[in-house]
Amino acid sequence: MNKKILIGVLIVIVLIIGVIVYMSTNKTETTDTDGTSKTAQEEIESYAFNYNGKEIKLGAEFSREEFGQELGYSEVPSCAFEGVDKTYTYEDYEITTYQDGDKEKIRTIYLLNENAQTEEGVKITDSLDDLKSKYQEGPTISDNKYTYTKGDTSIEFIVENEIITSIEYVLNVE
Amino acid sequence: MKYIRTIAIMIIFILIFILLNMLLSPKYMTDLVEGSMISQYYREDKNHEVIFIGDCEVYANFSPMVMYEEQGITAYVRGSSQQLIWQSYSILEETLKYEKPKIVVFNVNSMRYDEPVSEAYNRLTIDKMKWSKQKVDIINASMTDEEDFLSYVFPILRYHSRFDKLTKEDFEYLFKTKNNTHNGFLINKNIKPVENLPTKRKLSNYKFADICYDYLDKINKICKDNNIELVLIKAPSLYPYWYDEYEEQIKEYAQRNQIDYYNFKDKIDEIGIDFSMDTYDAGLHLNLDGATKMSKYFAKILKDNYNLIDYRENEEINNIYQKKLTEYKEAIK
Repeated sequence: MNKKILIGVLIVIVLIIGVIVYMSTNKTETTDTDGTSKTAQEEIESYAFNYNGKEIKLGAEFSREEFGQELGYSEVPSCAFEGVDKTYTYEDYEITTYQDGDKEKIRTIYLLNENAQTEEGVKITDSLDDLKSKYQEGPTISDNKYTYTKGDTSIEFIVENEIITSIEYVLNVE
Repeated sequence: MKYIRTIAIMIIFILIFILLNMLLSPKYMTDLVEGSMISQYYREDKNHEVIFIGDCEVYANFSPMVMYEEQGITAYVRGSSQQLIWQSYSILEETLKYEKPKIVVFNVNSMRYDEPVSEAYNRLTIDKMKWSKQKVDIINASMTDEEDFLSYVFPILRYHSRFDKLTKEDFEYLFKTKNNTHNGFLINKNIKPVENLPTKRKLSNYKFADICYDYLDKINKICKDNNIELVLIKAPSLYPYWYDEYEEQIKEYAQRNQIDYYNFKDKIDEIGIDFSMDTYDAGLHLNLDGATKMSKYFAKILKDNYNLIDYRENEEINNIYQKKLTEYKEAIK
């Protein structure tokens, strides 16, 4: 009798833990599945920055050698966790990277002046009308920020007094 | 007899379930110690005249031990990583259940965040809080879309995957704990000088969100209701950038509500902070030397401007603090 009860209790415990673990794992897997499909979409369409004939893709692996000597370099750690956001400043743009496993990848590209322009030909100091004429698909507008999204990538334009004052490419990943 | 057996079996089951929850929860004792800071307060004597609330800019930059040694001020830092303003409010509300300080110091950096940043940071603040109305409020206010309340009640739901990652720490601190801070101050002796900082990005909107103002109002009100002086500060961090537009809004709020506000970023030279030596992460936080300078400077302001008691002249309190100071000095060697 005692043995039967003990076996019964063990089965119940195992079942409950199993259900809990299954529920949680299932949730994670759903997220993973979504992530996978987004990655596939990202490969199909995403924004890229062209500079002097060189294409710089968000999410691509970053190689310091490939870009040459930067003008400035900084590391910004998080408050408590390991890992740092590294920022490389070049003459006309700035790249921020993140660590993905053992690979350093490009998270943002921030244009520093009017010498750099987007693939569609928009640069800092251009007018809002220029922006609207070159990016015809509707942006998301939040305050004075115009965000255009393709897959997991975005270009964010900040417009002040009808003039573009900031352009940043952003990879939308955790 | 049958009922007794059933009850005994249920008790055993519950105990195993509790034990599994305890075992699989992170202990935050030797790794990510920031997660243990909030709970250390429960084990302290509750006799503080000054309570700090806020993010890493308080627990890294202000050392209550230095403030006591310099001015006899009894202070405690109830800070945590990326502590959001609604979390600061609930932590203050919880603190007031235990004691009534004369001054509450709130670091305004979190006014820039109007939504939860990440689950990882939420966990560092919330996981080890005692269950209370405040903990429920914090969870509800802080959860990201991917989180659910039950995983805070039953950590096994969140941490079951740690089963094969358990370390010695998980067993060593299963039933015990230790203090990782000195009255909430986390010592860091490393030096990483400021060399370059990222370019200051333009923002589309510099205005603090309504939700942040609402909680700042609540912090102000709860202080007023308890006859506590609220003091606003901005720690002297160089990054993330504290924009002029932020500064103007805080100044305006402080003036309108007759609250003292100190921005220590404007006083870096006066404090004596040298960012080639006094920071452990290139300008985000001060290291031990920097925090010592900062704490001496602020302790004098508090002593000169607020009616605080010099507890070095109180034998009972002084005995407690001398013991703490001995431990502190051992730790900073």
